[in-house]
Amino acid sequence: MVSEPDAGSTVTGDGDEDGVTVDPRDALPADERALLEAFDRLRPQGTLRWNFDDAVRRLTEPPVMPGRSAPWGGLPADLWERGRGTRASERVLGDVVKIVAQELAEYTDQAVEESRGLSDQSVAEFRHATLDAIRFLSSRVDRLEAALDPLGIEAGELALPVVDASAWAERAAAWAGARGDLPAVVGELGTDELVTRVADAGVTVDAVDPRGAVVWAATASLTERPDPGSAGTTVTMAEVVDHLRTLPADSRGCVILSGCVDRAGLPGKVELVDESVRVLARGGTLVLLATDQGAWDAALDPVGRDLLPGRPLHPEAWQTVLTHRGVPGSVWLTAPSGTVHAVVAEVGR
Amino acid sequence: MTGIHLFVPMLHRRDAVGEHTRSLRDRLVAEGVECRIYIETPDPDTVDETRPYREYEADARPGDVLVYQMATRSDMTAWLKGRPEPVVINYHSITPAEYFIPWNNWIARHQVAATLDLAALAPVAALGIGVSEFDAEELRQAGCADVRVIPVANVRVPPPPPDPEVLATLERATGGPRWLSVGRLAPNKGHEDTLAALFVARATTAPAARLTIVGSPTEQSYARALHRFTGALGLTGAVTFTSRLSDAELSAQYAAADVLVMLSAHEGFGVPLLEAMCHGLPVVAYASGAVPEVVGGAGVLLDERGPRRVADEVAALLADDDRREALVAAGRDRPAALGLDRAASDLVAALRGVAEGTTGPSGDATATTAAGAPVRP
Repeated sequence: MVSEPDAGSTVTGDGDEDGVTVDPRDALPADERALLEAFDRLRPQGTLRWNFDDAVRRLTEPPVMPGRSAPWGGLPADLWERGRGTRASERVLGDVVKIVAQELAEYTDQAVEESRGLSDQSVAEFRHATLDAIRFLSSRVDRLEAALDPLGIEAGELALPVVDASAWAERAAAWAGARGDLPAVVGELGTDELVTRVADAGVTVDAVDPRGAVVWAATASLTERPDPGSAGTTVTMAEVVDHLRTLPADSRGCVILSGCVDRAGLPGKVELVDESVRVLARGGTLVLLATDQGAWDAALDPVGRDLLPGRPLHPEAWQTVLTHRGVPGSVWLTAPSGTVHAVVAEVGR
Repeated sequence: MTGIHLFVPMLHRRDAVGEHTRSLRDRLVAEGVECRIYIETPDPDTVDETRPYREYEADARPGDVLVYQMATRSDMTAWLKGRPEPVVINYHSITPAEYFIPWNNWIARHQVAATLDLAALAPVAALGIGVSEFDAEELRQAGCADVRVIPVANVRVPPPPPDPEVLATLERATGGPRWLSVGRLAPNKGHEDTLAALFVARATTAPAARLTIVGSPTEQSYARALHRFTGALGLTGAVTFTSRLSDAELSAQYAAADVLVMLSAHEGFGVPLLEAMCHGLPVVAYASGAVPEVVGGAGVLLDERGPRRVADEVAALLADDDRREALVAAGRDRPAALGLDRAASDLVAALRGVAEGTTGPSGDATATTAAGAPVRP
């Protein structure tokens, strides 16, 4: 239907009735909402970069509203723990900035204390030197980030092979069902069979994939089934590690990972393990569905083969990684059919 | 009367406010009125056309009128408020800060400051001119006592001819329907909604649909997010981002497109809507801000921006020749209906009215400030 807006339609599209702001997206189907929320997650507010840029501008530029409050809520208490970007390079460098900035803050406090006995000129020179140091630090981080991820290729841009983990669907439902009182993370989605089987087992599925087309199809198939299985199943369009980072600790009964564990570089693989372990409750199960290296190489087109940061690990290598990250006793299971191995570990034993 | 001088924080080429200011300057000069453009921050592209605003203090002559092209925060505001000459606000809307906060808090603070600027200047302005009724209402709300609506003066009717080489290249490209979106890469422009709608269109009704987004990045983090979103949606080969086009190159984009899709969440006017209409390009737009009054009945107006809804509306429009032709025909009449053909002369008449002690062509000499005091001579 095409319609003229009524006089009360708001500029932002936000409704407001009885003081309650209504997000017009709430009325959208889940698959459409998933797309738009994926873009929202790219907003930098709350990230180190957003806060850093704003802080430096406050230091170096005259206030635009002297004496007036700005839409600035102050530093969040969990500043150093959240929103550190979506790429491994940004996360690593975010930690570097964290350390340097904390040290700089401590040094600045100390220096300000010492400067009380100095002349105004000395204080001004010190302030300029400190600001220059911050600017140079920022520029160096910019360059390092650009060097580590010069292309910024998204998963959706590449013709990545679909990881067919359907051979593990029945076992996955059993692993997720062991702690079926808690939701299970399934990322990435591959074919839908694994996700739907887990949902059909009565487990709430928290599905995640960075590719719009995959999310679009999965959302439709999961939410429009005649019998949608477990209630509360969601599909999120995001990098898996970013989604894991948003979840509370000890909140999931099972984490089943495929695709992302193959194509991430080693730092990315390790972070996937660490974040999975963090969100798993005691007795929860971590399942890594790793593509056989030969099958992966054969399925990948030249662009992906050349430009992806990582390739699948051998199951033995995964077991070594898990042991080093505090998850001993994992089991390597060969695929009953197909080309996907399973490395399974119970955490918190 | 000695001069009507224009003040704008920064004069940009290929920018709605910048081109409007230059057009108004040209019209005033053509009518024998002394007119200079004063700026706060120079733009290398236009530096030879402008002077720092502080230099006006030496240039000032009795009887001058100062016209402030207002769309953002500027130190000029306080300075203008302190000038003895009558000040006219030619208002182009201030994008609300809320759109910028998630991307750049510095810009957000500036936008909040801009609304404070408006609240400070509007009550003492001799005249407020909104480029749309939507903007005019903001002027009234800010305390401007005498407000009128005169649209922008920089929409060229008929439009400049398309660059033949660019047009030929665009028309040679194979594929499905070609969507066009024109607007700065700024968070209020809603380009992400257009991308999501294109994604849905390709997944449902138009697998080969393509999109060209013409616009310079106002906020880099937003522009980067648009590129990342494009990649994540698998649209890299279907979406083209371009900017800094000449008038002829932009005309070629309009001429080669099948539909203009404009999903801005906040628009004070919407020049691309009229440019598209002048090119005979059908319009699908989200009904925000001034968009309904600019589009009138000459385009598809949406009351929500859900991607499936947008994709369906575009597909329906492109499949219905009669409806499309009717909208295009109605669109060709919109510039005249909005008074674009006389915008420059109306502006000049209104400004002359202020200079001569009346408030414009109506000869209304009783304009008062919000407080009821007579306007300054």
